[in-house]
Amino acid sequence: MLLEARGVSKRFPNGTEALRQVSLAVEEGSIHGLVGANGAGKSTLFKIIAGAIPPTAGRIRWRGADVTWSAPGDSRAAGVSTIHQHIPLVPTLTVLENVYIGELSGVFRTAPLLQRYEELCERLGYRADPDRIVGELPLGERQMVAVAQALAGGATLVCMDEPTASMAHAEVDVLFAAVRRLRADGVSFVFCSHFLDQVLELTDAVTVLRDGRVVTSAPTASLDEAALVDAMVGRRLHEIEEHRADPLPSGAPVLLEARDLASPGRLAGVDLTVRAGEIVGVAGMLGSGRSELLEALFGADPRCSGTVAVRGEPVRNRVRSRVRAGIALVPEDRARQGLVPAWEIWRNVSLPGLGALSRRGVPDHAAELDRAERAIADLGIRTPSAETPVGALSGGNAQKVVFGKWLFGDGDVFLLDEPTVGVDVGAKADILQLVRGFAAAGKAVVIVSSGFEELLAVAHRIVVMRAGRVVAERLTGETDEPELLALASGLTTVTGASRR
Amino acid sequence: MTTTMPRPAGAVRARPAPSLRQRAEPFRLHRAGVVYAFALILMTFTMAAELTGRPFYLSPVNTANILDQTVQVGILAVIMTICLISGNFDLSVGATAALGAGVTLTVLNTGSGVAVAVLAGLGTGAAMGLLNGVLVQLVGVNAFIVTLGTMTGVRGLLFILTDGQSIQTDHDGLGDAFTGVLPLNAKVWIAIAGAVFLALGVRSLMRERKGLVTSGYGPWMVGAGVVVVAVALLFLPTRWELTKQVYIFVAVAVVAWLVLRFTAVGRRLYAVGGNTEAARLSGIDVARYKITPFVLNGLFAALVGILYVSRFSAINPQAMTGLELTVLAAAILGGTSLFGGAGNVLKSVVGALILFTLINGFGVLNLGANYQDLIKGVVIIGAATIYVLAERRGQRSRPAVAAPDDDDGGGGGPAPDRPAGADSPTAPDRRQATP
Repeated sequence: MLLEARGVSKRFPNGTEALRQVSLAVEEGSIHGLVGANGAGKSTLFKIIAGAIPPTAGRIRWRGADVTWSAPGDSRAAGVSTIHQHIPLVPTLTVLENVYIGELSGVFRTAPLLQRYEELCERLGYRADPDRIVGELPLGERQMVAVAQALAGGATLVCMDEPTASMAHAEVDVLFAAVRRLRADGVSFVFCSHFLDQVLELTDAVTVLRDGRVVTSAPTASLDEAALVDAMVGRRLHEIEEHRADPLPSGAPVLLEARDLASPGRLAGVDLTVRAGEIVGVAGMLGSGRSELLEALFGADPRCSGTVAVRGEPVRNRVRSRVRAGIALVPEDRARQGLVPAWEIWRNVSLPGLGALSRRGVPDHAAELDRAERAIADLGIRTPSAETPVGALSGGNAQKVVFGKWLFGDGDVFLLDEPTVGVDVGAKADILQLVRGFAAAGKAVVIVSSGFEELLAVAHRIVVMRAGRVVAERLTGETDEPELLALASGLTTVTGASRR
Repeated sequence: MTTTMPRPAGAVRARPAPSLRQRAEPFRLHRAGVVYAFALILMTFTMAAELTGRPFYLSPVNTANILDQTVQVGILAVIMTICLISGNFDLSVGATAALGAGVTLTVLNTGSGVAVAVLAGLGTGAAMGLLNGVLVQLVGVNAFIVTLGTMTGVRGLLFILTDGQSIQTDHDGLGDAFTGVLPLNAKVWIAIAGAVFLALGVRSLMRERKGLVTSGYGPWMVGAGVVVVAVALLFLPTRWELTKQVYIFVAVAVVAWLVLRFTAVGRRLYAVGGNTEAARLSGIDVARYKITPFVLNGLFAALVGILYVSRFSAINPQAMTGLELTVLAAAILGGTSLFGGAGNVLKSVVGALILFTLINGFGVLNLGANYQDLIKGVVIIGAATIYVLAERRGQRSRPAVAAPDDDDGGGGGPAPDRPAGADSPTAPDRRQATP
């Protein structure tokens, strides 16, 4: 047994019990899946394994001997490497410098390192240009560089936290190929992901955490997606995801009409019409122009030509004008684009509607609190009070706060960019339900998602984008996930496993 | 789950009263450290003066003196705080102040009236601020570089304007307008201010009882109001000889504080500084909120320049060199974040008061002027260190968000897996990373 956690518990000084009697065993040369809803304790377990925080009780055994790692350097020296979701590479250095950053001392001599780098790439089965600046690399390639860095540091156990979040299909395949190759080489992995199909595809054994406890730990072969979901949250999700949108009543007025949106290198002439009460899904691979379409609709792309009209009225290509016309964007990267992390929930929620909540320029604090508390109640945000800073909320709850910002305003058109990314299954079901609620209230919704089955569950109509244009349009009742995948990737026949 | 269930209008919701810990939040070291430091310094000097048999340190004359000395840096610290909150930085205020003063004197010497001269000076300052703002916000050059450039260039303009000589004026209109003393009946007016505070505190308590607010400041405001009224009536003089400039300073600080603290404009300014992208996507005109602080900085720098020449009726082209650094020091002492989104103008004012109390105290107590700058430097670094350490400790002892247990698998739960705020600094822009 390479790594063993025995009865590990973690109780934080404030009384939160993040882990209770968790046991985990990773065999040499195996890939171990770790799944659980947000807040189940995955990150805490990762931190304990990495030696970043000490467990309150229990033991960590490494190669059959008890160890006490009190700093990340200790575990790294032993051969454990942890890759966090946002890869801690130095974006301004080259690939080679990043991979060997642990050895940067004295004179940095490129030639011998290059030699070792080539050997490393051989092991990895993948080669990134060593002279490229990491900041210029696509996300998938950065992940590979991070794996290479871990191996260069002599890791025999690599813990990966959500490595495939917002990775394209092809990139996932490359990563998985490398991981399998390294497994054959004797390297072990702990793979933590929200993508259950990927967990099933890649891992040898899976441990499911819920509320800080291990609820399932079994060989992957004995599990399927339904069993994992049941273990994580119970049965509720299935029913919601298998729901199909009701047909749209005919004669609903057109709320949003975009004509010939074009932007050099991003969009090549896109038309889009959305009626009141309609949910339009935008399917496409990363880089297909799906997020760019939302930016163009929102007026965030100054070089975009074409017209956007709300209720038949053309609106200028500026964010402010579009917001005034009732368009709201729920951005993908909520921490960076959606929220002021240091602010309380109520301050964040009231920000877009501050003018309406103010009398003679002075915000009405009671009205703001009221709006925030309504958002908390209606969206099911789990928090002690509206005074909690959003930076302290978990991913799904933070995303709900972003929704809450627009919920009670005058927004008519909602543009949702990957609303469920990085959100656990339970919160995801809540959010999809919320999107349906928007439509039921007569709003127009455009939703972008990499999870095509999610689009199928929530949208009335799906447009498929590729290379900056709309290549197909389907009613959700008339299509399925394999067809969408094929259309989006430009295939004529359907190959490969579906992914979220 | 229902999405938009309208709640009956006028329904008042019961909110739990703030805990003592929440009520005490504004008094924690990393929030109120600058005030404690100021009190400590005042006490030290007062006791030192007593022990060495000198006149009472906090006498009306000396306090009026400290305030008068603080005016210029104090005004600029207030405006600089606004600029820092918006997420920008301005090094050019000293040079702009000197240029504004130079322009005012030059126009005055051509025979124009005081009003015209002052407007010309203020206009010059505002124009310089606008230049900074446009270059930073619309062109996109880094604020540090832009204002480093204008700091140098504006000083150069002044040298050209004056040909390197001092400018003087015989006109005494400026001095009449901006210098001189307006005695204040401190006993009465400060007691009234305390009473207003007390009334606001009572109102806050009543609103809290109705569940309208949860700020938790009510009891403190009542307490502070009572103390201020008592102290004013018992100890304060009936004649406090404050200069006109002190009134300008206090007005600027109070107005700026009210706007930042209570208005939508202030809230949006903090949002723009706290997360520019989120503010933009919330429909806020980010460019306006980023450029206006520069314009204000230029405008008030020129005002400070005019206040300066109104005292001396002359300015040499080197005047007020390094002023911007003292101003920044005051803002930093006040706990203003250099990264935007956080700061309080009143604390910056206290920061400025600390700097000038130190100068004044060393002078009054005759402690050796050579030590002044060393002490100032130590105070600045010490303050910043205390802020950082106290905040770190505060975060450790503050209870994390422990949501009630839920069995339906929603988010929340103990130990949030991925705090939203922790993601951002290193998060790559996914869209741009993958062309």
